[in-house]
Amino acid sequence: MIVAFAFLAGMTLVSAMGVVISRNVVHSALFMSGSFLGVAGFFVMLNAPALAAFQVLIYVGAVTVVILFGIMFTQKPQVRRFRTILNAQRWAGFFVAAGVGAFLAFILSIQNWGATSSGNGTRGVAAFARNLLGVTQGSEIFTLLFEVASVLLLVAVVAAIVVSRRKTGEGVDRGVEE
Amino acid sequence: MPPQVQQVLDTLNAELPLEGYLVVGAIMFAIGAWGALIRRNAVVVFMCVELMINAVNLTLVAFADYLPGARGLGQSYAVLVIAIAAAEVAVGLAIVLAVFRSRRTVNVDEINSMKG
Repeated sequence: MIVAFAFLAGMTLVSAMGVVISRNVVHSALFMSGSFLGVAGFFVMLNAPALAAFQVLIYVGAVTVVILFGIMFTQKPQVRRFRTILNAQRWAGFFVAAGVGAFLAFILSIQNWGATSSGNGTRGVAAFARNLLGVTQGSEIFTLLFEVASVLLLVAVVAAIVVSRRKTGEGVDRGVEE
Repeated sequence: MPPQVQQVLDTLNAELPLEGYLVVGAIMFAIGAWGALIRRNAVVVFMCVELMINAVNLTLVAFADYLPGARGLGQSYAVLVIAIAAAEVAVGLAIVLAVFRSRRTVNVDEINSMKG
């Protein structure tokens, strides 16, 4: 357990650092998918195999591909100097983030969580699905949340199409005939 | 098997404390916040926001597995968070594309047309 945990923690955190400090944006996107894979491994360790599958499918698959498309459409060639990828608040940002991380880690460590033991989660997909649909006693709120999430996804898809649509005779690449 | 080897094996197979997962989640959240604060490229800022969302998901699933009172509902919340994060990425990248078409840049400190 501890070997797998150390490996996954190293993979997740080193990849997350790579996202922030790599000069090439495509490398950042690939580091991000490595970090997501580490989190998927954590989900397997935490008795949530269905969620790990969702994580690999949605994050490592779909989100990374969408972000790579965004990079493909918007990026100029790679910058050479390290300073040009950072904005003016680099030290203030570092101290704020270090403070947030230290504060969260401290609070989460000193909190008394009571009797904790591994294996309380819903390991089976059937129980997990009943929780998600709000059928189980005590999870009725998920009936509402599920519907709200579906409406939100529909609105987001329509909004993405409307916002990124190319109007006639506008924009930089006018080669496409309308 | 000698007892020392058995002891080492027991240590390696021991159950991890909940705090281990929580601290990894906190550090990952801090790294994401750091990147979102200091990077100039809007697409990288999106990636860092995704890192923060993943850190919170990790914390939710750790609570769902370790706390008896949670009854595994953290996993269901994590699914909802994943769905909303996917919607956020779609809308956000559409906005980045629209901004790039009109301004020819995605650097967040050069896009200041809404500044008062």
